[in-house]
Amino acid sequence: MTVYLIATLTLVAIAALAGLALNLQWGMGGLVNFGLFGFYMLGAYIAGLLTVQGLPPLVALGVAMLGVAALSALSALISVRLSEDYLAIVTLGFAECLRLVISYEGWLTRGMLGVSGIERPLQAWWPRGWGDTGFLLLALLAVLIVYTVLQALARSPFGRLVRATRDDPGVVEALGKSVLGVRVRVFAIGGAILGLAGSLHAFYYSYIDPTQFGPIITAYAFMAVVVGGRGSNRGVVASAFTLIFLLEGSRFLIDLVPGLGASELAAIRLFLVGVGLVALLIFKPDGFGREPRSALADKTSSRF
Amino acid sequence: MGQLLVNGIVAGLLLALPALALSLTFSVLRFANYAVGSYLSCGAYLVYIGNVVLGMPLWLAASAGAALFAVIAVGIDWLAYRPLRDRGGVTLLVASMGVAIALENVIRFFAGNLPRAYNVPVARPMRFGDIRLNHEQLTILVAVFAALAVVWIIFRFTRLGRMMRAVADNPDLAAVRGISRSRVVAYVWLIAGMLTTLSGVLVGLDANVEPQMGWTYLLPVFTAAILGGIANPMAAVAGALTLGLAEELATLVMPVHYRMIVTFLVMVALLLVRPWGLFGTRWVTK
Repeated sequence: MTVYLIATLTLVAIAALAGLALNLQWGMGGLVNFGLFGFYMLGAYIAGLLTVQGLPPLVALGVAMLGVAALSALSALISVRLSEDYLAIVTLGFAECLRLVISYEGWLTRGMLGVSGIERPLQAWWPRGWGDTGFLLLALLAVLIVYTVLQALARSPFGRLVRATRDDPGVVEALGKSVLGVRVRVFAIGGAILGLAGSLHAFYYSYIDPTQFGPIITAYAFMAVVVGGRGSNRGVVASAFTLIFLLEGSRFLIDLVPGLGASELAAIRLFLVGVGLVALLIFKPDGFGREPRSALADKTSSRF
Repeated sequence: MGQLLVNGIVAGLLLALPALALSLTFSVLRFANYAVGSYLSCGAYLVYIGNVVLGMPLWLAASAGAALFAVIAVGIDWLAYRPLRDRGGVTLLVASMGVAIALENVIRFFAGNLPRAYNVPVARPMRFGDIRLNHEQLTILVAVFAALAVVWIIFRFTRLGRMMRAVADNPDLAAVRGISRSRVVAYVWLIAGMLTTLSGVLVGLDANVEPQMGWTYLLPVFTAAILGGIANPMAAVAGALTLGLAEELATLVMPVHYRMIVTFLVMVALLLVRPWGLFGTRWVTK
């Protein structure tokens, strides 16, 4: 039971990181990233492949964060000049193509065989048998750090600028700020966080292959942000640790409900995520959290 | 080479109907329906039920499935999109992703993940000189051209088509002239539902019926619609043909499994150079 709890909490912490990244990009910045899982996957592969090559895991993690940030900025540059619909499809296309390349370029990524034997960071610190607990602490620490940084960012002048570009890019442009610059930076910072989340995924499983990554990672992140309230980091963390915990925990039901296979259960879970997303957008559009320092903006802006 | 061109045209025709459906809904509703891929899979599975489970001939199953799914598409609009209509394109975009996930998993729950095939007689491909054309490709050719002709006639020559074009052009002015937007929207979903179901059947004939089928078509369908200029329904067809040919010709230099990368590159190049589409006219973005 404890083992199961630790495993679920680790997954939830990683999902919370992805949720926080999306909350910066979409919640604060208004940039829809439908290809979130691609950036996450890229982070996992950079970290995994470099670690297997013998690089210290923490260095690999740093490289993964930088690499994903750079590619996020690039993919944002293609389309952020256009309306949001295009960014959504470009990120999705990027993610799908990345999955294809990873699946077929076996010389680089070991293709469908996957990368195995990925070492976890700081494993020597924990006593024998406490490795999973130690890793959970590390993941929770990562969530704490990212949360603190994002909270500071949200309250900073840059945070105001980001929200302003979301609510009315025309005004921001008129004030002499570069909307494109803001959006590219937002996408890059979000990308770095996704790189971190992906790296932790690779370290945790110690084995990665292309089938582990799919649109469901994106769906969980959107769910966390919609439930938590767009722009509210606290809300996103809270919703990750309640909602995604419940969703992940529902794997237990296989033992309790007879005649229900793993794939049926997964289908029900994802169906609920899909319906939940739509229902929340209709009935509770602001989620359960609040964006810091923007009570006025929430009331006056009808677009978000 | 001739064979490549034929295959490219068939691939383009497969994209044409969902791209038309996407840009039709976009032009009237101003939001990009991400669930268009799931609509395609759902339609294909409904027809599968008629064709294989109930034993109907394929044309009958396809007609019944198209009619049924058209009603479902209107229902989805009522339940999911209508309440969000005033909230802007981004909210609708995310909602349509929710719809897509929900639909796809309804399929997975009832039908599982295994690929299935329609119950059609196997026939030898026809030969014209060097060029082979199998019966599935012929069916695709005839069905897509027939559907396009019907939509074109509706669009150009009927009262409904005029209403659709009016709402797409200027919804406020159309409302002032007494055109009921919600009625036009319902008709647009009916047409989009039928088109996606038909394309689902054709994709299923060409390959297999499986839960992922719509998902793999999502990116090419969007690219085709953007190629045509996304708010311009008939140009989406031209975009689809262009993309189909480009994908097929690219197999000369790239492995077949990288088709989607060709699509993506086409989209990126287009968004950088001509974001209003090959055949569209320039419009102002914010």
